[in-house]
Amino acid sequence: MLKFFIKTCLLILFVNVSAQQKNDSIPKDSIVYKTNYGLRLGIDISKPIRSILQDYNSGLEIVGDYRISKKWYAAAELGNEKFTTREDFTNSTSRGSYIKIGLNYNSYKNWLDMNNEIFTGFRYGFATFEQTLNNYQINSNPLLPALINNVPITVKGLTAHWSELVLGFRAEVYPNIFLTFSGSYKIMVSLNDPVNFKTHYAPGFNRVYTSNTGFGFNYTISYLIPFRKK
Amino acid sequence: MRKYYLLLTLIALLVSSCEKDDFCIEPITPNMVIRFYNATNITQTKSVEDLSVTPEGFDELYSNANLDSILIPLDVTSNQIIYNLSSESNIDIITINYDVEEVFVSRSCGFKAIFNNVSVTSDVSNDWIIGLTETLENTITIPTIDNETAAHVKIFH
Repeated sequence: MLKFFIKTCLLILFVNVSAQQKNDSIPKDSIVYKTNYGLRLGIDISKPIRSILQDYNSGLEIVGDYRISKKWYAAAELGNEKFTTREDFTNSTSRGSYIKIGLNYNSYKNWLDMNNEIFTGFRYGFATFEQTLNNYQINSNPLLPALINNVPITVKGLTAHWSELVLGFRAEVYPNIFLTFSGSYKIMVSLNDPVNFKTHYAPGFNRVYTSNTGFGFNYTISYLIPFRKK
Repeated sequence: MRKYYLLLTLIALLVSSCEKDDFCIEPITPNMVIRFYNATNITQTKSVEDLSVTPEGFDELYSNANLDSILIPLDVTSNQIIYNLSSESNIDIITINYDVEEVFVSRSCGFKAIFNNVSVTSDVSNDWIIGLTETLENTITIPTIDNETAAHVKIFH
């Protein structure tokens, strides 16, 4: 049901994008407003906030994009994360690093020289991480005592590959300073599971749902290093 | 209008990512299934009158029941459990020895145990239990108990 809803929303979005392209055929004004092209770098501020609120979780993500044409941007995210998953019968922690690379398409038509975006994008993500099973309880008949194991088991060298669809808003709040809010829907392509256990959380991918899908949110602040105007 | 759709999509994503998508519905640690048969006509099941089942050191599981099959849990913290089975105040003791193997099931169910090299022995007094096999011997071994779909042990009485 959720997939259907997302697909429907994407469809609506693309229909609107194509409708907008038709408008481009209207003869243009002779005055051309130039906008900045360059490298934009920033950090995700939701992860440091989560690190403060929950001492068992921490993370840092650096985001960057480079404008390659009027509407297209090459984008990448690089991060490191530690996240503890608490379930009824298991408690496990994932630690590792990830990289995401892809493209953003700005579907927002700016007025004059404004530089805001409503963008959709695609990413390829890769993570390398380890997962520690901190403790677990054997799920057995409650009439007899339960077996609880508190000896941590760490499995290193796990990897994950996934693809990601991104939707986001970006606003230039001061000259060359941008605030971005974006959400993503992720589909796992390949994932390692520890022997006789499962990867519950992959850095960058976030929680691995039963259908091998995931969701992500970013709130970033970034600065544009302008190289040229055109 | 487009902004509005995007906002709705983002809110939908936000809400859905918090919802629990996984409930424990898979089978967990199996109990041992015991079926009671007639010792004089070994193909026929026979209910036990006034049956009480108590694991040694724990609370009674069945009391004064009239059943032809029971489910008894095995202790995952040990390699042995002793059951007192009584019928009309005649007590028989069965001793179960086993190895515990831990198997991961799913995120919500966690780990279950399965039991290997299970041996079941009834005491030789034969108060009401006559045997555990069709030739009425007092010991039976089961290679593995990993489900509850069929009886693991037949008790002839």
